[in-house]
Amino acid sequence: MRRPSFLPAIGLLLVGLLLYGGFSAANAQQPNFPLVKEYRIERSVPPQAVACIECHRATTPGVFADWAKSRHANANITCLDCHLVQPGEEDIAQGHEKYYGRSDLPYGESQYKVPIASIVTPKDCSRCHPDEVTQYSRSKHANTLEIIWKIDPWLNKGMNSANERKTGCFNCHGTVITLDDKGNIDPATWPNAGVGRLNVDGSKGSCTSCHTRHRFSIAEARMPEACDQCHLGPDHPQIEIYNESKHGTMYHAYKEEYNFKAAAGTWTAGVDYRAPTCAACHMSGSGKVMGTHDVTERLSWETQAPLTVRPQDFKPFPAKTDWQVEREKMKNVCRQCHSDAWINDFYNGFDNAVTEYNDVYFKPAKATLDELYEKGLLSKEKFFDEHLEVEYYELWHHEGRRARMGAMMMAPDYAWWHGFYECKLRFNKFMEGAGHLVKTGEKAYIYPNFPNATGSTQRPEKIFGPQQ
Amino acid sequence: MKKKHVIGALLVLLGIIISFPLFSMTYYTMVRTSTPEFCATCHEIKPAVRAWRASTHANNAAGVVVDCMDCHLPAPQNTLNFLFAKTYHGIKDVAIHFLAGPYDREKARKAAYAAFENSECQKCHRNLLYMPQSRGAMRAHRTVLYARPGYDLKCVDCHYDLVHNDKTSVMFRQYREVPYQAKGLNPEKLGY
Repeated sequence: MRRPSFLPAIGLLLVGLLLYGGFSAANAQQPNFPLVKEYRIERSVPPQAVACIECHRATTPGVFADWAKSRHANANITCLDCHLVQPGEEDIAQGHEKYYGRSDLPYGESQYKVPIASIVTPKDCSRCHPDEVTQYSRSKHANTLEIIWKIDPWLNKGMNSANERKTGCFNCHGTVITLDDKGNIDPATWPNAGVGRLNVDGSKGSCTSCHTRHRFSIAEARMPEACDQCHLGPDHPQIEIYNESKHGTMYHAYKEEYNFKAAAGTWTAGVDYRAPTCAACHMSGSGKVMGTHDVTERLSWETQAPLTVRPQDFKPFPAKTDWQVEREKMKNVCRQCHSDAWINDFYNGFDNAVTEYNDVYFKPAKATLDELYEKGLLSKEKFFDEHLEVEYYELWHHEGRRARMGAMMMAPDYAWWHGFYECKLRFNKFMEGAGHLVKTGEKAYIYPNFPNATGSTQRPEKIFGPQQ
Repeated sequence: MKKKHVIGALLVLLGIIISFPLFSMTYYTMVRTSTPEFCATCHEIKPAVRAWRASTHANNAAGVVVDCMDCHLPAPQNTLNFLFAKTYHGIKDVAIHFLAGPYDREKARKAAYAAFENSECQKCHRNLLYMPQSRGAMRAHRTVLYARPGYDLKCVDCHYDLVHNDKTSVMFRQYREVPYQAKGLNPEKLGY
């Protein structure tokens, strides 16, 4: 009788265990890192650019991977094409030069040293995209710093602090970039990608507001999410309005089918997208209407202004457009999907909303405010430090804008409940308070300790020239 | 009959005797007054010539030298235009030298840029679209050569400090430390 042999089985088991143990140890030594994006220099690239790429793949892999997936990388446009500056220029990043002496970094050798600027400006972009920059330079986006310094009481009366401005206002509107004696960027003005940033080279704005770095994607700027980083909130809730509108509803339901990557000039209503996004109506070419980077084009009313006016009559920055021409352009955009009767009836409602806002709400409120100032019942010295000034401000700046913009972009809740409904309540409260002051001759209560009203009231010299 | 021929021949000879020195002197004058050295005899123009001498339009690996005239006047084969522009500017510059106030280089520079035409640059720079090592330039040049209506651009809108910027050392194209690139649209062009 043969005895069953356990020995070989035990041996096999041992070998198996050993092997398993060995593999586990190997796995532990090589953790599960994601693959690093490959980059082989297969096309002609200057050696200095090779140095940028090889060093930044190691030091800032996110920036590198982003660029490697971009259209720029596709076209062999490297770091240098945008960041290179000529020797002796003002905005050379002095701090960057030390890396060329660091032997622990790949390509950290002086032979690769080139002057570069940290901040890439629209002027730099215009080396390859001159038409886009030309259009952009005419827009309210590019000139928004000038506009807010002309009309905004927070700035002109110094009612908020420098840091409240940096983290709030200027984050979207842009800072005036300044350098210290050594050429370092003043941290009070940077980082910033505001649409109206004033750059050291004199150009205005930042293309990366909408085409975020380092992808610089056309697809991204076509999505409402590019605009909603700034166009939201109580004072200009364009994204909330869009989301409530039919356009927004359809976008959210069908965006997976949208072809956002269509080549410039080919993005087509009904083919590449079902309902328009912000860019589709305000910027992209559509039918016979040419695409533009000037967002002020195609506007027939300034719905953000206290008193609604035509864009060419907007005093702080009169557009060089004719509202009738621009309305016709916008109607042409509408015609991709809507009939003339539909479009005209829609504009009828919008125009009526504007007229009612102007005549019924804004003009009487403004006249009353002026009367209070004239009679000395309100103090002209500051703004926001008397309750009625806040009421007046919110009437036009908050619900007055929501009402007009809600009517324009067809969001009923914003046209009515967040809009004209609130206008009515505000108007009544303002008039009640004003009436009380006029009747009693009593001066308005002034908030004695207005918090953090420490900001400078000096208009930026680089925009307005030397001031007293 | 014979007398007629003799008179004819004499007249032709007279024509040659009168016109040959006239033409050759005109030609000689034109050549003499077309050199950068001649331009630099006016003190107003000296800094411009000095800057040009240090620029890549005078120093490059191909040995090509681009003179004042090559950019600032119509092509000489366009004879009448050339002669007219040259004479006009000569007289105007001398008149202004004596009649007007001090020379404002910045103002003159702006006027010169405003007068530039792309055809003057394109006399030499003709192959602008196929630059595989500089794709951005290919793209930008395309927008200039095939401009959308209303978007006409001049070469000098982006290449505006190529030659007459003051330098501390001579610029040799072949020894450029960093690749040349256009400056991008001049902010003045954008109405800032």
